[in-house]
Amino acid sequence: MPKSFNNNMLSLQHISKYYQNGPNKAYVINDLSLDIEEGEFVSIMGPSGSGKSTLLNIIGMLDAPTDGYHYFIDQPVHQLKEKQRSALYKQYIGFVFQAYHLIDELTVYENIETPLIYQDIKGSERKALVADMLDRFGIVGKKDLFPSQLSGGQQQLVGVARALISKPKLLLADEPTGNLNSKQGEEIMELFRKLNKEDGVTIVQVTHSEKNAQYGSRIINLLDGRIESSITL
Amino acid sequence: MLKNYFKTAWRSIMRQKVFTMINVTGLAIGISAALVIYMIAVYDFSFDSFHPKRDKIYHVVTNFTFSGVPYKNGGVTSPLGGVIKNEIAGITEAAPFYIANDDTKITVPDGTATPLNLKKQDKVVYADARYFNIFQYKWLAGEAKTALSTPYKVVLTQKQAELYFPRLTPAQVIGRKVIYNDTVNTVVTGVVENLPGNTDFVFHDFISFSSMGVALSADQQKYNQRWDNTTSASQLFVVLDDKATVANIEAQLEKLQKKYDPNNGKDFNGTQDFKLQPLKDIHFNSEYATFNYRTANLTTLYGLLAIAAFLLVLGCINFINLTTAQAVNRAKEIGIRKTIGGNRKQIIVQFLSETFLITVFAVLVSIALVPLILKFFTGFIPEDITVGMLKETSIIIFLILLSVIVCLLSGFYPAMVLSGYKPVSVLKNQTHAGTGKTRNAWLRKSLTVTQFVIAQFFIMATILVSKQISYTLNKDLGFKQDAVLFVNTPWRENNADKKQVFVNKLKSFPQIENISIGSTPPSSAGYNTTSVKYIDGKKEIKTDLQLKNGDENYINVYKIKLLAGRNITKSDTTQMMINETYLHTLGFKKPEQAIGKFIEHGDTKDMVIGVVNDFYSASLHSPIKPLAIVPAWKYNNYVVHVALKPKTEGGGEWKKAIAQIQAAWKEVYPEYDIDYGFVDESIAKFYESEQRMSKLLAWSTGLSVFISCLGLLGLAIYTTGQRTKEIGIRKVLGSSVRQIVSLLSKELVLLVILAFVIVTPLAWWAMHKWIENFAEHTAISWWVFALGGLAMLLTAIITLSFQTVKAAMANPVKSLRSE
Ligand SMILES: Nc1ncnc2c1ncn2[C@@H]1O[C@H](COP(=O)(O)OP(=O)(O)O)[C@@H](O)[C@H]1O
Ligand SMILES: [Mg+2]
Repeated sequence: MPKSFNNNMLSLQHISKYYQNGPNKAYVINDLSLDIEEGEFVSIMGPSGSGKSTLLNIIGMLDAPTDGYHYFIDQPVHQLKEKQRSALYKQYIGFVFQAYHLIDELTVYENIETPLIYQDIKGSERKALVADMLDRFGIVGKKDLFPSQLSGGQQQLVGVARALISKPKLLLADEPTGNLNSKQGEEIMELFRKLNKEDGVTIVQVTHSEKNAQYGSRIINLLDGRIESSITL
Repeated sequence: MLKNYFKTAWRSIMRQKVFTMINVTGLAIGISAALVIYMIAVYDFSFDSFHPKRDKIYHVVTNFTFSGVPYKNGGVTSPLGGVIKNEIAGITEAAPFYIANDDTKITVPDGTATPLNLKKQDKVVYADARYFNIFQYKWLAGEAKTALSTPYKVVLTQKQAELYFPRLTPAQVIGRKVIYNDTVNTVVTGVVENLPGNTDFVFHDFISFSSMGVALSADQQKYNQRWDNTTSASQLFVVLDDKATVANIEAQLEKLQKKYDPNNGKDFNGTQDFKLQPLKDIHFNSEYATFNYRTANLTTLYGLLAIAAFLLVLGCINFINLTTAQAVNRAKEIGIRKTIGGNRKQIIVQFLSETFLITVFAVLVSIALVPLILKFFTGFIPEDITVGMLKETSIIIFLILLSVIVCLLSGFYPAMVLSGYKPVSVLKNQTHAGTGKTRNAWLRKSLTVTQFVIAQFFIMATILVSKQISYTLNKDLGFKQDAVLFVNTPWRENNADKKQVFVNKLKSFPQIENISIGSTPPSSAGYNTTSVKYIDGKKEIKTDLQLKNGDENYINVYKIKLLAGRNITKSDTTQMMINETYLHTLGFKKPEQAIGKFIEHGDTKDMVIGVVNDFYSASLHSPIKPLAIVPAWKYNNYVVHVALKPKTEGGGEWKKAIAQIQAAWKEVYPEYDIDYGFVDESIAKFYESEQRMSKLLAWSTGLSVFISCLGLLGLAIYTTGQRTKEIGIRKVLGSSVRQIVSLLSKELVLLVILAFVIVTPLAWWAMHKWIENFAEHTAISWWVFALGGLAMLLTAIITLSFQTVKAAMANPVKSLRSE
């Protein structure tokens, strides 16, 4: 049985994911192995359809691979039950999406607060944590607005704030700047760098932008579900 | 956490006002029906639940069979009350009492020439300390032990004392006089508080038991000493000790009866058994009748509960259908909630809180509806049931439980579906793919079919019940029912001369065609049966024979046809006219063959002088049985039957005739109020329970169709919303409005038709079961089903058209541009 390494955040070993397409298997991820250490900032690049989102979702336990071994902080994820997996996820992982994915019915404040509610954190503590986060992202004035009343960049700030509120060890971001203009994109990237450097948050982002990829410490190029190259900066 | 859930729930409810309204309305109808019916149940089950010894108190009653036909009487032979406690082991107390006739006259002398005079009073009993030992009253004046120990004493309830002596306190009432039926002069020796809860023990004047010796007629007293005479007036309650069992006491009673009445049963060709009826059975058993007149009917209560359950299910189905139909719209939100750490349980709780909020709305609406429902169904709902009952703990607990059940019933499945979405597929916009959606669609279709099965069942049942009612009311009963009045003369003044004076006065009125004196009209609720014997030379034919008493005009008033022989004449005494059924029972083919034959009953022999056509002597629930019309003067008959001439244009004559009859009555019987009725109306009363059922069914039908159509409308709103783009393209390509409407309605209409196919055999089966209650019944025609199905289909199409026509008429350019 393959082993995991001690300061590894996560380890994927011989991971495959395919969809049955009639008699054929359509591989999206094909026998891929990848280790990410704590404190890394990894950028995943590759052409559309190469399996970037799928890989990120597998890392984030939103999707399950068809084959292979998946360790997360020494836990064999591939052996865990749904419940344990979601507990692990809840405790350690934050997600940021290209389309922001805020809940339309909730205000900025409530969107950021919701992960804390799911973690059964007390009301008074929640209040303090959310207030901190609003302050840190400079969106205190927007706290009672609904997502539809914000610009794209502001929405993504809320998205990041929401992902960070539960103090995740691993932040996963799927094209976080894809819908933003370059100035807004830069802001988010600066934020990521700071998080990585100052708070030690491990980050894995998918990006199409060469420039944004440079913020990371490693760039992984994906092609047809395989790692084509891995460059440490 | 919950606060957050409710906040989200509130916002999503407000965002979908139409769906929320459909859901709330559907659920509120079911909940208010359940609530009111539960109130009725609580009320009925509360009867006499407060007596200290309630589990040990039994009502002694009598079950008879006469020639195999069962007959039940709530009374016992009077002498039993005197001996039961001493001769039966296991009985600690026994309270016989005797119910005075229900037209007791009460006079309260006050020294003036015009004392308080009450006629036709009921709920007066002859009782004593034994009654008050079993049923504990609070004594405001006097005491249980001595108040009724000697004749000519009376105890009143507080309310009755206030009625007789408005300004006096209970203590002051003691010693006052109350006179019953002009002859029983009593002195008030006690005042008791009215019983504290709902009760069937509603007597308000308790005359001492020993007064019966003077109060009742000599005849009645003689009867009351006999072991072979049973009247429902003679009541007996007992208290069993802890070891006694009902079976054991009943066995002892059988022995006791054999000892005192060895010939029992032989004298009337049947059996007679004493039974113990538990106190809590009294309110629900109409076979023995209560003292309060209204008995609750457990079958009706269960029927009502079933209706409420059906309405609730319909409302829940709407909720499930509309929520799962829209699930896709909420999929994104669920996906997000899961990616930010929400687990399945938390999401289920969130959706259940949303459902709960809607349920609470529905409950509030239901509570607001209760006064309207109570008002609308007065007559059906006992009047003691008021809005005030909503404050009772049991009702509040019921509402909370009901809310939880409704919430789970309607919310659980949608919550499972919604919480089951995988966040990746949702976020990748793949919710349309996969098996989840088709499974939901399949479930939605099944539920919609279920709704329409229920709705069509109600429609068909309503049609059949009305058909049967109109059949029974229009059926030729074998005699004339319309334009005939009957007047009950006072039996207390059963004086042949006075009756004749009254009849002679009526004869002079131009509007009156014919008059007869006799017993009840041909069809009546109660009947008089005797066992008779006919010896045709070889064998003996023993049967029961129903008796109607009439004079020479009886068959003329009712236009009953004489088939052979002659009518009764004034000089007849031991003669009788028989009906065709009896004729055939006796083995004769032609009416003429029976004439001159002798029928034995008891010690007498009556000669058959005539044969009349068959007519129904009771409701159509029972078939025609052997019957004879015997001369009226043989028995004490007190009903005057009056045939009126047909009404003419304007119809003022009958009113005038009735006024004249009333005036004549006042002259002959100034002491009594007239008691009369139309024969056809009294016959319609036989079918009161069917009429009530019909009204209730009509309501259930209306409501179930309404709820189902609301659901249908909701689904139509949803699907047309989903297909806006498709509709636009089709229109651009040249589809007509009609084509689009039929395209949009087709699927839902097919479901209604499928429901019709399913419900028809079910309804057919249920109808057969129900109609077996009638000896004579209407046909279960094919058109009952066709009409029911068609009515539903039309209603469904009209409902759908509200939405589909709107969608089909919409400007295609607009809908395409917005896509
Ligand atoms: N449910 C599915 N069934 C079949 N193929 C799928 C499914 N989900 C994703 N794919 C395929 O997987 C491939 C990788 O998708 P994705 O990971 O989203 O790529 P990327 O994010 O790099 O653009 C795509 O070619 C997509 O068509
Ligand atoms: Mg992608």
